[in-house]
Amino acid sequence: MKRLLQFLFNYRLLALIKKEFNQIRRDRRLAISLILPPVVQLTLFGFALSANVTNIRLGLVDDSRSPESRELIATLTESKSFRLAGYYFSVNELGDAVSRGNVDAGVVVPYDYARDLARDRPTTVQFLLNAMNANTATISRAYAEGVIQSYNTGLRGKGIRVQTFSGMDLARRGQVQLQPAFLYNPGLVDSWFIVTGVFGLLLILNSSLVSSAAMVREREAGTIEQLLMSPASTSEIIIAKITPLFILLCMMMLVAIAVLKLAFDVPFQGNILFLLLGGALCILSGISIGTVIATFSKSAQQAQLTSFFVNPPLSSLSGALNPVEAMPKWLQPVTVLNPIHHFATIVRGSTLKGSGFMDLWPNFLGLLIFTIILVSLSVWRFRKQLS
Amino acid sequence: MRRIVAQTRKELTQIVRDWRTLALALILPIVLLLLMSTAISLTVNDLPVVVQDFDDSSASHDFIDAMRASITLHVVSWPVNKSAEQALVANAARAVVIIPAHFGRDIARGVNSPVQLLVDASDANTAKLISGYATQITTAYNRQTAGATQAGPVQTAVRLWYNPGLSSKKFYGPGVFVLGISMFPPLLAALAMAKEGEHKTILQVYVSSISAHEFLLGKIIAFMAVALAECFVMCLLLFTYFGLRFAGDPTPFLIATILYAFCVASFGTMVGATIPNQAASMQAVALGGFLLVFLLSGLIFPIENIPAGLRWISNFIWGRYYIEIVRDALLQGGGWPAVWFKVLIVGVIGTTFYGIAWRGMRKMQVKV
Repeated sequence: MKRLLQFLFNYRLLALIKKEFNQIRRDRRLAISLILPPVVQLTLFGFALSANVTNIRLGLVDDSRSPESRELIATLTESKSFRLAGYYFSVNELGDAVSRGNVDAGVVVPYDYARDLARDRPTTVQFLLNAMNANTATISRAYAEGVIQSYNTGLRGKGIRVQTFSGMDLARRGQVQLQPAFLYNPGLVDSWFIVTGVFGLLLILNSSLVSSAAMVREREAGTIEQLLMSPASTSEIIIAKITPLFILLCMMMLVAIAVLKLAFDVPFQGNILFLLLGGALCILSGISIGTVIATFSKSAQQAQLTSFFVNPPLSSLSGALNPVEAMPKWLQPVTVLNPIHHFATIVRGSTLKGSGFMDLWPNFLGLLIFTIILVSLSVWRFRKQLS
Repeated sequence: MRRIVAQTRKELTQIVRDWRTLALALILPIVLLLLMSTAISLTVNDLPVVVQDFDDSSASHDFIDAMRASITLHVVSWPVNKSAEQALVANAARAVVIIPAHFGRDIARGVNSPVQLLVDASDANTAKLISGYATQITTAYNRQTAGATQAGPVQTAVRLWYNPGLSSKKFYGPGVFVLGISMFPPLLAALAMAKEGEHKTILQVYVSSISAHEFLLGKIIAFMAVALAECFVMCLLLFTYFGLRFAGDPTPFLIATILYAFCVASFGTMVGATIPNQAASMQAVALGGFLLVFLLSGLIFPIENIPAGLRWISNFIWGRYYIEIVRDALLQGGGWPAVWFKVLIVGVIGTTFYGIAWRGMRKMQVKV
């Protein structure tokens, strides 16, 4: 123990760390790239990516032209989900409007709508949805059906009920009434899911970018020879390189947490310690990824190009921006190998859901294992490169 | 003309000789298309749901079977001695269905029985989907058990156009295709142009007999060729793996693709000419080619969802118009009447980039 402390706090190491700090301090671009991305990316992603389905432009063909049909249309458009965008005289015209993109959805009310209602006969209203975007289509379909259902309940209250001859009231069965309750995010704020995911992406990608730039610089400038000639051991060089980056990136994490709290009002239900611990592990694995990339490259430009091969798979197979269940079945297990996935789960658990350690330990374990593997890989690569 | 061809050949040779740039030009777009189109999809299947049945009657079993039969939800077991909410906190399930005691008795007596659905809304969009699916299942169950007696007077017949199978692959495939073309060719173009500045080879160009337009066109044609090659490879994938076909007249798509290739190649050259530093110009392309096209072009979510303070920017995003053209060609089939204006805008933006690149090139000499 004493020897470890001695090793960690000898003058040589402190001097090396100081040197790295100075180097970073004088590099204004690096300092900017530590503060700017968390603020800009979090706000841009959080505000620009919204899955909210509102104001669906509705085209209308009303062949019934009766008070009843107008009431139905009023019910549809009084919610924020649908907005009346145009009247058409025939279904063909409506179809053209949908294909030109003037409206997103169409409603066709049949000519015998009012008559059927008055005669207590069931009547059918057609909805045409532009289903190019499957997600929007599914949600708007649910909206439309929900509105019609509540419209029906209203009609029943007024005494209109479909009569059939087979079903007598004696045989009437009760209905199942589903009552959904949205936990953890009752207002269904979209941005919470996005920003908590982008937070993880940001930590890993930015750490790897910054560290690969810092690691490759020595090599690019040719000063790595001088470092090798010094009495410092390779582990000392690595620790000295990583420590200042780690501290600065942790500060970046705090900035990002402040943005989450102040700009997006993300609730912090759980223990913030989990968030910080997970974030620190994430930064370490990001730094290691950057170091490994740097050992394969000769210049900053090459390192950046190489990171294009690592980052897209890492970020797209993470479940940071979309649910893991939306991926193909065979790809879903791959997310277990992704530190961003574990971190996103930890962030969402500890901010939105208030999960405890008992719920999150598998993710912590996964993140820890990855961090250890990645750090040792990077140390091994770096050493190999030095010798 | 001869000088333009020579310049183009020189650029293409340069790309082929570095494995990184070659892989970036041809392999990465395919990887991106395969990964990203699944990674940004939001339509979920097979969501784990826990059912707590306090009734345990034949009616409640029927209802649970209805849930089980759907492909969107799948019922997972959960120990009865643990609270249902625990399943949500532990990420074991996305939703919990709680069936009250006396459920079967109530149904048989003709009394409506409330069933609670607790949804984990930390992912708001998925929560909406779950509640929509569960409502659909319940409605279908009610209709089935009650016969026509209970069906409401007004019924809906929903028709899904252009993508009846609701496959999100078909929507995101074309989007990611555009993202790939907006990102890699300009990246290579910017690197090549910035390299001329960084290595000061631009001075040799100035003293040679080649004119600025010839030099720029030679470069741009080379990267247009890269973009079109990428486009071809990715189209093969779209037509096979993604199962897309031309829905209508393919000519707007073909013309727009050539114009768009010109647009992105000019964009890259413009960035390289105005920022003669490889690392910095790469970041500028990553911002313009990736971030702006990814976020502000309606690639994932409709543009109308972007707050108005940011939305106006998307009018200037070249990718936005091309995405709409591609989606129209592959899904909607509106043809020229629907997209002529967008094709025109892509051309105009490309020409603007070319103009700025030309001006930037004149200043490059001073900077170097």
